[in-house]
Amino acid sequence: MIIQSKDISKPVRESADVCIIGSGCGGGASAKVLAEAGKKVIVLEEGGYFTSGDFDMTEQTAYQNLYRERAGQATGDLAVTVLQGKCIGGSSTVNWTTSLRTPDFVLEKWAKTFDVRGLSSKDLEPYFERIEKYLNVHVEPEEYHNPNNRIILDGARKLGYHAEASGRNTRDCKRAGACGLGCPFDAKLSVNVTYIPDAVKAGAAVFANFCADEIDVSGRLKRVFGSVVDQSAQKVKTDFIIEAPVVIVAASAIHSPALLLRSGLANSSGEVGNHLTFHLTSAVLGVYDRIIYPAGGIPQSALCSEFLNKNKDGGGFWIEAVPVYPTLASLAIPGFGNAHKELMRKYPNIGASIVLVKEIDSEGSVTLNSYGRPSISYEAGGRDLGYLKEGLNVAAKIHFAAGAKRVMTLHSQKMEFSSPAEIDSALANAEWGANEIALYSAHPLGTCRMAEHPLQSVVDSHCETHDVRGLFVIDGSVTPTSLGVNPQMTILAIAEKSAEWIAENRLKTM
Amino acid sequence: MTASASRRSFLKKTLFGIAALSAAKFLPFENAYAAVSETGQPLKFFSPMEFLIMKNVAARIVGDPADGHPGTDVINVSLRADAFLADAEPEIQDQFHQLLTVFNGALFAFLFDFRFSSFVEMSPSDQDAYLHSWMTSTLSFRRTAFQALKRVSLSLFYTDSRSWDEVHYDGMFLPWERAGGNK
Repeated sequence: MIIQSKDISKPVRESADVCIIGSGCGGGASAKVLAEAGKKVIVLEEGGYFTSGDFDMTEQTAYQNLYRERAGQATGDLAVTVLQGKCIGGSSTVNWTTSLRTPDFVLEKWAKTFDVRGLSSKDLEPYFERIEKYLNVHVEPEEYHNPNNRIILDGARKLGYHAEASGRNTRDCKRAGACGLGCPFDAKLSVNVTYIPDAVKAGAAVFANFCADEIDVSGRLKRVFGSVVDQSAQKVKTDFIIEAPVVIVAASAIHSPALLLRSGLANSSGEVGNHLTFHLTSAVLGVYDRIIYPAGGIPQSALCSEFLNKNKDGGGFWIEAVPVYPTLASLAIPGFGNAHKELMRKYPNIGASIVLVKEIDSEGSVTLNSYGRPSISYEAGGRDLGYLKEGLNVAAKIHFAAGAKRVMTLHSQKMEFSSPAEIDSALANAEWGANEIALYSAHPLGTCRMAEHPLQSVVDSHCETHDVRGLFVIDGSVTPTSLGVNPQMTILAIAEKSAEWIAENRLKTM
Repeated sequence: MTASASRRSFLKKTLFGIAALSAAKFLPFENAYAAVSETGQPLKFFSPMEFLIMKNVAARIVGDPADGHPGTDVINVSLRADAFLADAEPEIQDQFHQLLTVFNGALFAFLFDFRFSSFVEMSPSDQDAYLHSWMTSTLSFRRTAFQALKRVSLSLFYTDSRSWDEVHYDGMFLPWERAGGNK
């Protein structure tokens, strides 16, 4: 059963075995596992409930209905735009389908440095296999890559770099290009069309437009307090209290720590909200003589991961295609005014690739502002910035190898190259301060870090908070480091494994 | 330039600037009320002056339309910004009010850029130069402010489907797939 705010007219008082806050990869997968284990599950989602019939493939509708802050969420200084879903299915509803397993070197680092237990490649193998089957993760045949993805495949290979098709969670994909705006064909097997319906089938109750404000712990019971928000007016309609012995916070690496901080819970280590990583991202744009049309076709089906952990330091970068819709393009294209408009008119001839950094020395945090809302800050480390520069350099050369006539970065002071020979010195002299280059993240991670030692972390290897028995965090917050791959598979695997543990252990003892 | 000459020049400009600013303060308000009354709709977030600032900012940031294509006035970016910000979180609303005051203020234009008028009183080319100085400023808060203005202007222009024709965006699917073929 999925209940929306329009179905609610009076304050809601409910109880359950498990209350899950958030319906994305972490919350959705946990809900399915626990409901299928026979537990009474309530899922609270702050965003609305939308289905394929609501997805009209426009940015206007998608940003309004499906994204946090209408796709305008950012760090306090607006230097990094942080894209997140806010709807049933969370970010999986609006991601670009890339489905990759957690790299071995990352899991080894977690075990060695953070004493994380039970999450080795071998431990996660059966979970990845099961999830890949459930979500039909597969690579596309060569002829299905759109011109924007072909830039990476062809350009990287010409330069001798390894590039390959990446796994995607789709079935009967129509190749429209709308993954980031909600799939109108239900071809993307995101959480809103897989885990959530299956959880509901197993008896879970899902409440949309239910915004959790605070968690109160009293003995073994937890109470989640919050507001029911009218979807169209975006005004508070009434309130709710959900009572449960087990609460799973799965509201993302930005909003889970904010909820814990508001509640004054699980923070004896002082680590709630710390160690935010982004997979710091920027892009290069190539202008071609041929039609690329960067919004059409499968948005993201190829990648070049040649430079990930190449120096064996756990860092590096990878390169993926990025679908560019008009608004996204306009915000990314450097400058403003008539020169900006001139480039916008070249829209069909623009190809775009993103460089994502697997951070090793950047540090971000989530704190609360005076309104009790999350305030995001982030400082790129020197080594990570070095990888970003190198990545943009490589990506620009890939575009030239693929036939671009000119290539540019997203620096405010226009940084445009007409040949590969110009790239090295120009990037060496570029400015890299806040708002001197457009930066993005679609992968915030790490703000409720997992480790066995309670002084250096928020949750243990089962995602249970060290401080409060029966209070769990299961989402991108728990990763002890950034991943080096798009995070949905990692979060799903951790969620399924942790939810199994909760069903078999914690719910029997509480 | 020597230090003393530079200081003298600064003082001269300062005195002249203050005098000029004192003399010409009231004209923009008439324009502001005129701009609001043109819309025929009540404002939900902006004051009339803020509305005029936003109208000018959006026009310069989005750029001039090609013949036959709509500009920011037709798409009514400033009125859409008014509705958008009326629904924003209180913190963002507070910051945006402050931003527009500082950005347009003649005193700030003088201090930051040695200009003797507020933004709405500048010629279009001076407005472009002033925006450029915010975008590339060494002061990070000015670059942040520019980003906020750019985001609001461009996102509210290009999410409107009337803007797509000029940039040859024709919706989803690849062009040849829409035409029924495969390439």
